Amino acid sequence: MVNQDYFKFKQSMVEAISILCMAILFIFLFAMVVFIGLQGARYFLPSAVHSVTLSYPQSLQEEYYEISYLSAEELAQEYQTRFQKQFRFENANIPQVSVRTEADVVHLKTHLGESILGKVRTLTSPESNTLNLENLDDLLATTELLKSELGEVQSTILQPLHQDIATLLQQDVAKDSPALQEKYQQFSRWQTYSNSIDQQLAAYTIELVDSHGNLRQVPLASMESIIFPNDLGFFDGIYITFSKMMAFLAQTPKQGATSGGVFPAIFGTVLMVLLMTLVVAPFGIIAAIYLHEYAPDNKTTALIRIGISNMAAVPSVVYGVFGLGFFVYTLGGSLDTLLFDDNLPSPTFGTPGLLWASLTMGLLTLPVVIVSAEEGLRRIPQGLREGSYALGATKLETIQKVVLPMASPGLLTGIILAIARAAGEVAPLILVGAVKFAPNLPVDGEFPFLHLERQFMHLGVFIYDGAFHNQLDSQTSSMMFASCMLLLVIVFLLNITAVIVRKRLRDKYERNQK
Amino acid sequence: MRKPLQLDTHISAKYNQELETLKHSVLTMGGVIEQQIVNTLVSIEEKIPNLAERVSLNDTKVDAMEFQVEQECMRIIAKRNPTAGDLRLVMTVAKTSTDLERIGDEVARVARLISSEQMPESEMVRAGIIDIGNRLVHMMRSTLDAFARQDDKAAILAHQQDNEIDKMYKKLLEQTASEIQSNPEDINRWLDVLWSVRAFERIGDRCKNICEYVIYLTHGKNLKNASMKKTIKKLLK
Amino acid sequence: MFKLFERKILSVDEISRAQAGIDVRDLNVWLSNKKVLNNISIRIPKNRITALIGQSGCGKTTLLNSFNRMNDLNKKHRCQGEVWIGDRNVYDKKEQTANLRTQVGMVFQTPNPFPMSIYENVCFGLRIQGQKSRRVLDDAVENALKQAALWNEVRDRLFDSALLLSGGQQQRLMIARALALAPEILLLDEPTSALDPLTTLYIEELISELAKHCTIVIVTHNMQQAARVSDYAAFMHQGELIEFSDSDSLFTMPAKQQTEDYITGRYG
Repeated sequence: MVNQDYFKFKQSMVEAISILCMAILFIFLFAMVVFIGLQGARYFLPSAVHSVTLSYPQSLQEEYYEISYLSAEELAQEYQTRFQKQFRFENANIPQVSVRTEADVVHLKTHLGESILGKVRTLTSPESNTLNLENLDDLLATTELLKSELGEVQSTILQPLHQDIATLLQQDVAKDSPALQEKYQQFSRWQTYSNSIDQQLAAYTIELVDSHGNLRQVPLASMESIIFPNDLGFFDGIYITFSKMMAFLAQTPKQGATSGGVFPAIFGTVLMVLLMTLVVAPFGIIAAIYLHEYAPDNKTTALIRIGISNMAAVPSVVYGVFGLGFFVYTLGGSLDTLLFDDNLPSPTFGTPGLLWASLTMGLLTLPVVIVSAEEGLRRIPQGLREGSYALGATKLETIQKVVLPMASPGLLTGIILAIARAAGEVAPLILVGAVKFAPNLPVDGEFPFLHLERQFMHLGVFIYDGAFHNQLDSQTSSMMFASCMLLLVIVFLLNITAVIVRKRLRDKYERNQK
Repeated sequence: MRKPLQLDTHISAKYNQELETLKHSVLTMGGVIEQQIVNTLVSIEEKIPNLAERVSLNDTKVDAMEFQVEQECMRIIAKRNPTAGDLRLVMTVAKTSTDLERIGDEVARVARLISSEQMPESEMVRAGIIDIGNRLVHMMRSTLDAFARQDDKAAILAHQQDNEIDKMYKKLLEQTASEIQSNPEDINRWLDVLWSVRAFERIGDRCKNICEYVIYLTHGKNLKNASMKKTIKKLLK
Repeated sequence: MFKLFERKILSVDEISRAQAGIDVRDLNVWLSNKKVLNNISIRIPKNRITALIGQSGCGKTTLLNSFNRMNDLNKKHRCQGEVWIGDRNVYDKKEQTANLRTQVGMVFQTPNPFPMSIYENVCFGLRIQGQKSRRVLDDAVENALKQAALWNEVRDRLFDSALLLSGGQQQRLMIARALALAPEILLLDEPTSALDPLTTLYIEELISELAKHCTIVIVTHNMQQAARVSDYAAFMHQGELIEFSDSDSLFTMPAKQQTEDYITGRYG
């Protein structure tokens, strides 16, 4: 009896411990997702702007605006606790905090990504000076019209004129030839016209008073958005959230990656991953086919297999160093001396860039692809191959028509796993071509359209860099969280796609199979 | 009531054919023996010793047939593993062929007696022998018919014909005994006649056996089984 | 002499070279450095069903596989001797194995349909051969399925996945797949061991039907099946051919004591 009880106890202990471990694991995973999600989502939600007034005992006063998702009371509370810690030994010096939330505070964003907090003082147009913000929409519409006219003049008249002049000059036409003179005259005439529009535009301004009482005049033409963050309706809130999301996905980073969006980083990530897939998929699959179908069953093959498994365990930064040393300096350097001789000493391929990053990531993910592709090949019953051989198919035909279609779930899974890994990798990319800010996308309208030698932006690197340099600023660090969330979403989506694709293909090819 | 055994419903067409041929072979054999009896009777009636001689020679053919049927039964059992109705059929065929062979032997014996020596002159005995012979041919025919159709009722009716043959046999025995008493000097030849009469009686018994096999084939039971009595009564109603 | 039963079975000694579908001469096969077949010589008659029986590991499957060189798939395989099919030696150096296998079809123990439609499964071999004409393929598929007695069951769902068929249907599909190439010889490696008894009987009937156009060699563990279906039977033991004769004699009166022991279940 005792024995049995002990046995039961042991059983239930084992069960309890495994459940506990599982639970802890799940809690951590859940916490991570929730934390990143909340922090990231906060970036998109509109947050209030509070006026904080700190009155120091020495009768100094400091007043400023603070953007915060907290309410006024909560913010005051937070200040209190912060000061109590800070002035632990000099209680008398604790400043008085008062936090107000004023409805007429505006949050203005310029096209350059600068945000200005303040109260509107005047709205200036050539006709009037008013404070009446109801006119704002009309004025904005007028400036919009002027702006589009200006743009049209510049793109349809001034630019072609400029080109014509340039071609004429290139053809060594005499400076005083009538054709050239006429063009010059036209050019200056239109130039004057566009200047006049510019001046008109400059007359439309909005003037704000910031917390320190300074005046800030902003031309309406360079204003991107203006909102009253403390006086938002429900739908305004939704609209702002969505426009922020769109901006996040579609714009380039501004103001040292503190505002704007992450589009170049998404683009760079996707492009790098795509190029990497182009490299790693055929190589990995062909290697797996060789290993499983053709390689003799001996010690050398076993050694190669062990080598591949070990390759998967090599720290990624080692791949980065290898990519830098081999691809960038050695391969890129010799490519430069061979093909781009005239550009030297400034390097073309001899510097970190998209191509080398893709190749390095390809190398890094190759073992993943090979291992899972071989696993996929191993799952195919020998009977099917025999069936194919028995019908007169050669080895190549068997692989082509029977083995590969059936192994496709495994192959695809490997590739998607590789993609997910490459999308999240940071360390090697910093070494071989991903940068914090790239002025140009690697794809543009200029021949050869795809610029493999250019540096590019990458989400992982972007997050790393942002998190590293902007720890203190709450707004920007929540932009990092937003990027993190985006990265998580992308990786999750990729993995879910992998699962779905695998299930589909399995249903198609593996029903009833033993 | 169970359906009669059908031989054309196996998945294997070849098996169908084999069983059909097997059954047919027994009927062929029976037909040959029937002809033997008829020939013997003709040779007695018309006093043609040659014909009787041919009958006794023909017996080797019957023996060969029996061997072939047995071989085929064995082959089917070995190769087809027949079960249930098929197995009963094969066993019935094997046993029937044995009985038929015995009948053949008896007929041959009668024929040999007739061909070797002249029968003692006694119109009454001769008529009696021919009478019992005709009766036998009839019984044999209905037995084979019952077998061919696997008809249990016909088999029972054929089975009952033996009673009459037994009666005729007894009567003929008495007649012969009285003949012997009147001509005791011909005792050796009369003994042969007695043997012949006895042989005819044996043939009737063999036919009875075959009828029992047919009953066994259709019902899977011995005719003497208690439960069969009811069934027989029901059948004959 | 009067004959009740007509039977035209040639005894094995009377089979001439011309009547042989497969003529094996002194065949030795080693797999993974182990001798599996030892000096096999057998003349398998044309358009008849020959069964190979024997214990597991006696080499009957290896012998079967040597007829279409499936043994070559084993990397450690060595072979000595000749296997003649028609007027060519299968183990000739010039022989194309892929080409050979189109003429010597094979059906395996477990049905292994490709994960494609029924139609594609049947015309797989023809497509490999480079046949592209839709008409030819259609005809071939219909013929093969009819020969395999499967046409009526699948005519309405030719383009459904073959994996949806039942076990017996799949095995008939495998036979149809081999028949689509119109092979001279059909090798069956325990074709019914995964099927229920009734389906087995249907397949057996199909096999005896096919023997009108094909030489059929069947490996089976089921002695009764060998007895039922075969015209000739060969008993093998530990890589040796013990006895080869027509199955009527082999199953009623085997010549060798070893064979008798095996078929009567007295094996030590």
